[in-house]
Amino acid sequence: MLGKGERAVVPSIKELLDENAPKIRFMLQLCVRCAMCAESCFLYRMKDRDPLYMPSHKMLNSVGTLYRRKGRASPGDLEKIREIVWHRCVLCMRCYCPLGVDIPGIIALGRSLCRTQDLYRHYDGSDLKP
Amino acid sequence: MIKIKRKPFAEISAMLEPYASFLNVGCGGCASVCLGGGQKEVQELNAELEAALRSMGKSMIIQGYTVERACNMFFLEELDSRVQEADCLGSMACSAGVQLLAERFPTKPVFPMINTLAIGVDREVGVYEESCRACGDCVIGYTGGFCPVTRCAKGLFNGPCGGTRTGGMCEVDPDIPCVWHQIYERLEAQGRIEDVLKVKVPMQWHDQVRRLVIQEPYLGRYVERD
Repeated sequence: MLGKGERAVVPSIKELLDENAPKIRFMLQLCVRCAMCAESCFLYRMKDRDPLYMPSHKMLNSVGTLYRRKGRASPGDLEKIREIVWHRCVLCMRCYCPLGVDIPGIIALGRSLCRTQDLYRHYDGSDLKP
Repeated sequence: MIKIKRKPFAEISAMLEPYASFLNVGCGGCASVCLGGGQKEVQELNAELEAALRSMGKSMIIQGYTVERACNMFFLEELDSRVQEADCLGSMACSAGVQLLAERFPTKPVFPMINTLAIGVDREVGVYEESCRACGDCVIGYTGGFCPVTRCAKGLFNGPCGGTRTGGMCEVDPDIPCVWHQIYERLEAQGRIEDVLKVKVPMQWHDQVRRLVIQEPYLGRYVERD
């Protein structure tokens, strides 16, 4: 239980987006979909160059989407974001952006956003797709 | 990956007893994978602490936050604005993560909520087996993929002791296979039995100074070359 005047450590989605707004806006303004990040992603290369695994696609369709919607997201939307940031990325931090977008930071932020809603990767077998 | 297990509850509550507020930091890496210190485990421990305090008529502000990887300073940055009001911090990461947390916040008492037990493999959900003790001088290429440091109770390097039981079990514990029996069987099957005839210096655990690992391609970045 929080005491009087005690601030909750776990922020809301909106608070976390606001905290990171400069980084997110930088990403949204600068990403020109050049796909150089894709070549640096081993998952993209391993998955037959499936565009769903391009780092730019992952960050724009997770944090980018949530930011543009001002943090409003249905449980289904959040589940899609969870799938992107956990099942399509291992946070190996190899991704390279010639314009300096912090792609691993954005993906990590996507995970933190999911965690604020108690959504995360489960390792007890319940996450495995049939 | 690294395998951890939560400390006994009595030990944890004794560590936190002097403090009025506590932030429990989980880890999304190895600790989560072995179901020892992830977001779910943070919430469970916090709930247990709150229940215990309530039953004693005490109160404490208990909060939890999980970072992606506690062993990398990049992922600890998001804690900077979140630790100020906590009197103490707990970490459910492995010892490396606990130490890095203490390094980032040197003015806050930091307590490990877990014991770091092993580098190991996943056998079943919730069941993990130690495989490696990070001795720093791997010989398993000559022992058929079995680690004699970890899996021999005596850490023998040059064959079994005289105590192997019938059936190939260890004299220390009849439920533990004698790893040298296993090494022999596998190398024989692969036609490499001569490998165990190469006499090696046993692991002497010398040079116990803290290791720094710099991968070869990155040496030029950090080390001045002549």
